[in-house]
Amino acid sequence: MSECIVITSGKGGVGKTTTTANLGVALAQQGKSVAVVDADIGLRNLDVILGLENRIVYDLVHVIEGECRLKQALIKDKRLENLCLLPAAQTRDKNAVTPEQMRDLIAKLKETHDYVLVDCPAGIEQGFKNAIAGADRAIIVTTPEVSAIRDADRIIGMVEAAELPEPQLIINRFRAKMVQAGDMMNKDDILEILAIPLLGVVPDHEDIIVSANRGLPVAFDEESLVGEAYRRIGRTLAGEADVPMLDLTVQDSFWTTVKRWMGLSPAREVAR
Amino acid sequence: MKDLFNRFFGGRNAGRSKDEAKQRLKFLLIHDQVDLTPAQLETMKNEILEVIGRYVEIDAASTEFKLEKAEDCIALVSSVPVRRVVERPASAPPTSGTPVPA
Repeated sequence: MSECIVITSGKGGVGKTTTTANLGVALAQQGKSVAVVDADIGLRNLDVILGLENRIVYDLVHVIEGECRLKQALIKDKRLENLCLLPAAQTRDKNAVTPEQMRDLIAKLKETHDYVLVDCPAGIEQGFKNAIAGADRAIIVTTPEVSAIRDADRIIGMVEAAELPEPQLIINRFRAKMVQAGDMMNKDDILEILAIPLLGVVPDHEDIIVSANRGLPVAFDEESLVGEAYRRIGRTLAGEADVPMLDLTVQDSFWTTVKRWMGLSPAREVAR
Repeated sequence: MKDLFNRFFGGRNAGRSKDEAKQRLKFLLIHDQVDLTPAQLETMKNEILEVIGRYVEIDAASTEFKLEKAEDCIALVSSVPVRRVVERPASAPPTSGTPVPA
């Protein structure tokens, strides 16, 4: 049975596109056939994160307007043959598509793929409504910041109002060191406020920037801790039960230990 | 001395700012949901106090009104210290406010 999952956040810049790309890769690595759809019409970026920007001929709006067949617009990832991208149009806007058209398009994609992942644009307007139209469920991406969590709360309400099942949460850009120092909200703080199930925690790391520079999603990198975080989320999504969460605790440096011993450093927070 | 040490080790502003973040966030989410302006909340508080004041003498300066998130709803939690019951004839209506017709 195939499934369409929309990746959304409300706030921009929290890592929706990176999450979509990496979950697409992680699911495809599990042997699933995956289509990732860029629903951010007018501001497409999923193609760049996946490193497929040079291969775009047709886009989502071409398909919807009947200028090409769906298959012609899908770009196959050469690194993973069961992963493909449906890019957004860059020269059109959100109003070029209606929720009904999106629903039909997603239904067609589900006929030939196990998973359809939709990268939702930021905001709560037309683009959001289009992106969730064909979705069976939603993943909310947030960062441990007041503004991102506030918007996530709003989006959770809108997902529920759209009669989708309870969404799951990915906490992105988690900085274990800051959490341990009590300067960043931890997993439990965030879950207490948002009250939805946690799908995974993704650490903040330079690897993400390097992978975006190269157009090579970090989930391809066997050595990367961030890549491992995405691969584990992918396993959970694919139905594997009780995938262990990454241990993100940071060992204290010599000076931190000395400071704590002298009572100058706050007590340690549990980072996980 | 402790300050100097903290500065030396680079920990001047560090530590526990997440509590502030969480506090602000909780406040924000409740007020986003209730959708009343601070002025409206103040008016509501004053009107409630006025009604209570018809029956008992209250310590207006130390009253507390807070919106809090409970399980699945938002609750208005208030603390209104009572000084004493307002003296009035046994069967007469409250001293202020409109008497209720029988």
